[in-house]
Amino acid sequence: MALELTIENIDAGYGAVRALQGVSMHVGNGETAALLGTNGNGKSTLMKCVMGMVRPTRGTLMLTIDGVEHDLTKLSTEEIVNIGVAMVPEGRRLFPRLTVEENLLLGAFRPQARAEIAKNASFCYEAFPLLKERRRQLAGSMSGGQQQMLAIARALMSSPKLLLVDEPSVGLAPILVSQTITKIKELKEQYGLTVLMAEQNFHQAIRIADRGYIIVHGEIVFDGNVAELEKNDLVKNYYLGTAA
Amino acid sequence: MDLLLDAIVLGLLVGCFYAAVSVGLSVAFGLLDVPHIAHPAFLVLGAYGTYMLNRMGWDPILAGVALMPAFMLLGIAVYRFYYETFERRGSDAGLRGLAFFFGVVFIVEVGLVMVFGVDQRLVEAPYIGKSLAVGDMRLPLRLLVAFAMALVLTIGLSLYLSKTFTGRAIKAVAQDETALRLMGANPVRIKQWAFGIATAVTGLAGALLIIVGPVEPTIDRVYIGRTFCVVVLAGLGSMSGTLVAGIILGISESIVLTLLGASWAPAVSFGLLLVMLGIRPQGLFGR
Repeated sequence: MALELTIENIDAGYGAVRALQGVSMHVGNGETAALLGTNGNGKSTLMKCVMGMVRPTRGTLMLTIDGVEHDLTKLSTEEIVNIGVAMVPEGRRLFPRLTVEENLLLGAFRPQARAEIAKNASFCYEAFPLLKERRRQLAGSMSGGQQQMLAIARALMSSPKLLLVDEPSVGLAPILVSQTITKIKELKEQYGLTVLMAEQNFHQAIRIADRGYIIVHGEIVFDGNVAELEKNDLVKNYYLGTAA
Repeated sequence: MDLLLDAIVLGLLVGCFYAAVSVGLSVAFGLLDVPHIAHPAFLVLGAYGTYMLNRMGWDPILAGVALMPAFMLLGIAVYRFYYETFERRGSDAGLRGLAFFFGVVFIVEVGLVMVFGVDQRLVEAPYIGKSLAVGDMRLPLRLLVAFAMALVLTIGLSLYLSKTFTGRAIKAVAQDETALRLMGANPVRIKQWAFGIATAVTGLAGALLIIVGPVEPTIDRVYIGRTFCVVVLAGLGSMSGTLVAGIILGISESIVLTLLGASWAPAVSFGLLLVMLGIRPQGLFGR
């Protein structure tokens, strides 16, 4: 299985507000790419462009899976999910008045995932034993960390090939942030996923990333592998605020 | 004492019938958040459809089932129109939707008056007019038929909503449409389908309405209070709750009817509705 996400030179915005400007990225098969930046720099907008929820005004977004090219700018969100892309959205967006189990089963809505429901469910319950214990509980009644686990598990229920994770650390205690990030790495390896993760927490994100992209005011100002990121002056100045 | 027992048993049967005529609204209003006050009008439309087929010799229950596909299409068309003209344009959809469905009520009522006149209509079937003797009590067979159908309807719908992919998506759609998109389901199509199902079920429930008693074009007004009371009492969107709430309303009405007289009975549904909204707005089984 080969997968490749190529984002070339895209602009996007909301009305007169430009959120992304000439953004290019490349996520290769089995890679974990981290999109790094503080609030309001366009991370979520970029994720939404990949999911077809925001349409770029310029540029191309191509996803190749097993030799088949998909032009993501022409597909609806539902169609993008159906070709094997799942997103863990910012703020989790669970169905609060449905049970944990119902949330997971909704994750398997796409036809290709329905056949694998038993396998995926037992995998999710194994990865997150707490979800099994609480499968009859309403999703809205769980704590933030548990909800984040459920959101990730729900995305995995769709048997994705490409997983987008938008700000997994928001609203979590530091220990939970670390656990969540580690879990994403484990799941990625077990599932053979390709991951694109947007994150503000630089140190946590680069623990599991192969490659990082730094986005400032809607533009990618630096990209490189983790070693390059860590020693780059620009990164220290703009991002970490620890000028040498 | 016997009088009270009679009232309770009769209330139980009528209550299940109330649940049956409310399940469609429980989907449309409880799950989809559509202010569907034309629901009772569709119920009466189903009753008149049954009346017509019955005159051609059809059994009323069979007629009700036969009406379902047509009602499904009617529901899909009405939702589509409501969505394009109101819901899609956003924020005050609730209030303007209310005006829209109020208009639909009048169209249905006036249409029925023009075609059938204002006289009461009823259907004929072997089980109408007979009753079953249980001890000292005589239970009208038409109520027992409605009771059985009510169980089939509520349990069937409840299973559909919890056991199928589309059913679960229907339960989720009003909670977060964007999240549902991320599951690969189109929220508008899901709602349209759900509204179609709600209307189809209402068509069949209309057959029960005319089995239970004679029907005239404006009888829907009595059922606005009853159906909304059942749905709110149940907790929005809870199917099993609908059955329990229907029974509570049925028994309360029946007791009030026996003890205070018929003129008080219509106040029961709105009374229960207000009390419920006051003390437990999420309903008995609300999540």
